[in-house]
Amino acid sequence: MLKTTFATSYTSIIRQLPTATAFVDSNLKIAHASNSWLDFFELKPQEAMGKHLLEVFEGHDHTEWKKCLNKCFKGFTEHGLQHKTSSTGDMQWFEWTNAPWYDDNENIIGIIIQTEDVTKRVESEIKFEKLENLFKEQSEISNVGTWEYNLFTEEITWSDMTKKIHEVPLNYSPTIDSAISFYKSGHDRNTIAMLVHNGINKGESWSAKSKIITQKGNEKWIVSAGKPLYKNGQVTRLLGTIQDITKQVNAEIKTKESEQLLRTLIDNLPLNVFIKDKESRKILVNKSECEYLGITNPEALIGKSDFDLYDEEIANISRDEDVHVMKTQKSILGKRTVSVKRDGTSTSFLTSKIPWLDINGNSQGVIGLSLDISEMIQKEDQLRDLINVTAIQNKKLINFAHIVSHNLRSHTANFSMLLDFLINEKEENEKQRILGMLSHASDNLMDTLENLNEVVDISTNVNLEKKPLNLNEHLTKVQQNLAGFLHKNNAKITNTITDDFMVQAVPAYMESIILNLMTNAVKYKHPERDPKISFSAKREDNVTIFSIQDNGLGIDLEKYGEKLFGMYKTFHNNPDARGIGLYIAKNQIEAMSGKITVKSDVNTGSTFSVYFNDKA
Amino acid sequence: MIKHNYIYIVDDDAITIFGIKKLLSQLSRTPKVREFGNGKTALQAITNALKQGKQVPDFIFLDINMPIMDGWQFLEEFLKLSLDKKVTINIVTSSIDPCDKKKWLSYRTNSKHRLLFNNKPIFSIDLEHIMRINLAS
Repeated sequence: MLKTTFATSYTSIIRQLPTATAFVDSNLKIAHASNSWLDFFELKPQEAMGKHLLEVFEGHDHTEWKKCLNKCFKGFTEHGLQHKTSSTGDMQWFEWTNAPWYDDNENIIGIIIQTEDVTKRVESEIKFEKLENLFKEQSEISNVGTWEYNLFTEEITWSDMTKKIHEVPLNYSPTIDSAISFYKSGHDRNTIAMLVHNGINKGESWSAKSKIITQKGNEKWIVSAGKPLYKNGQVTRLLGTIQDITKQVNAEIKTKESEQLLRTLIDNLPLNVFIKDKESRKILVNKSECEYLGITNPEALIGKSDFDLYDEEIANISRDEDVHVMKTQKSILGKRTVSVKRDGTSTSFLTSKIPWLDINGNSQGVIGLSLDISEMIQKEDQLRDLINVTAIQNKKLINFAHIVSHNLRSHTANFSMLLDFLINEKEENEKQRILGMLSHASDNLMDTLENLNEVVDISTNVNLEKKPLNLNEHLTKVQQNLAGFLHKNNAKITNTITDDFMVQAVPAYMESIILNLMTNAVKYKHPERDPKISFSAKREDNVTIFSIQDNGLGIDLEKYGEKLFGMYKTFHNNPDARGIGLYIAKNQIEAMSGKITVKSDVNTGSTFSVYFNDKA
Repeated sequence: MIKHNYIYIVDDDAITIFGIKKLLSQLSRTPKVREFGNGKTALQAITNALKQGKQVPDFIFLDINMPIMDGWQFLEEFLKLSLDKKVTINIVTSSIDPCDKKKWLSYRTNSKHRLLFNNKPIFSIDLEHIMRINLAS
């Protein structure tokens, strides 16, 4: 009765054991099992109770277990850790103990199997191990070390990486003071000391970039981060990391430096530099380009296209060029362009446009370089003008040299010939005649030299100052000087020039020119009529034209036109003709940057027109 | 029968004319000489002589730089005239411009007449030139 009761209660007690437990008899048949045991192995009571243990766990390798069970029958207790997969596919870890089951007489009657679900523990252990490995790897890859400071013990511990960063041996044991003293003295050390202080006293976390000097004396950039840990509302520890970022910082500095170098270079090039994107919008401009466009802040130009900056016509040309360069990926080099700004100022450039390619070789924009060559072109023009002037002067000079040599030669030839005659002449009368000829030749030479002097004067006094002259005043003056000559020839003069008409000219030349033209008009009068002379003047852009018309003989311009203004060219059988007046007049007019033209009909008369250049 | 040579002097310089005439007067046989102050009057005289069937010059002293019609213009016109006889034209000039010498060379090769070129001063007249005219005529 009691036994039965006991047996019943015994079984029910076992069934309710909190620890998963099973009892197997000497035949390895499951005699008792706790519900927790059955649950753990997902067994129903009828599947397990009274069944052979190894049959229940059929399908597993039982070699090791059998050995273990045999040992238990011999009085040993065995432990182990095993895992199994639950019906839901989860990995389950369990610790087991197989111990001998003794009866009251200490006889082994079976084995007590106990299992404990340790999945959670094992998982966390694995996780921890994993984490530790991961962290170690991570810290090596990213050069992150850790440290911990215990406020009570004042102990500071450094991870291996932390020590490596500080370049100290692995057995080095730091103190809070020595740790801080690694920071570069001055700003860096003060900052970290303050951050640690605030961490301890105010509970503030930090992360700061600083410089440290390692034990080996190397300077390193690090990021130090710290975080206080609390216990019962009190900061008890500081935890933190230290990361070596020297490489990154150095790379960053290098990048910044080369960027700075490039920028300085671009800004100080005597070239307008710009980079445009695919839509021809500016994404980089240098100082010269900004100055050219009259803008102080380069940002104001970024994103702008030529259509924002220039008239449409100019912008269209530029855009077409950009598109061409991007499409063909061929540079335009050293093209002469003229750029007209909105304010109308035009600048000549030597422009190059180079395709800007991305890594894949596709055009992503245009790099432009423009050299302002306005000044050069201006100089070039000036030079060309100068060459032209020089060429004309040179021609004149050669011409003049010929005239001089010819005129002087003709006189000296005469001297030579006459002297030769004189030496060989015996007759006194003839000698006298030759001497007379010699004196005549000498007078001619003097005249010629005077004429040549006059021409040389004009050619050398190129810089005589022009003054505004009243034209009528000068005409009247010459008329008064020629009064006798005009009266003798019965000349009539009409003048349509107003009294306030002014001309820019060299005073001495002005008089000489009027004198020559007026004299000629009378000198070459028509034998059948009295000379009639008329003066007129008009102004065209930058030029004043003075004309003197006569009714004289006229000149056959087809025959003599080319020679009319030449030296010692006379065209009429006039004993007064010296052939020098028009030559000198022409030289004087040209010395004042003017010109002289003639219209003439034989037997009708001539009109000479003098063009005065109004500019100085 | 030796004809008197007929000589023209075309020059606007009185001294040169005087000199040439003086030199000619020294020749054993003094030729007949006419003088002209420019090419135009000389040309007129020749064309008139041709019209009237009178004697045209055998020998012409020709200056280049002259008013109204210069030596080259005269030569241009003279070469156009249809003349049976070969005339000697002695260009006498004080010009040493190489252009003038070139011009003379081109006229000389394109003409049936005899063209000579002499720079002033003239100290003597080569009798050969005058004598050759004698033989030719």
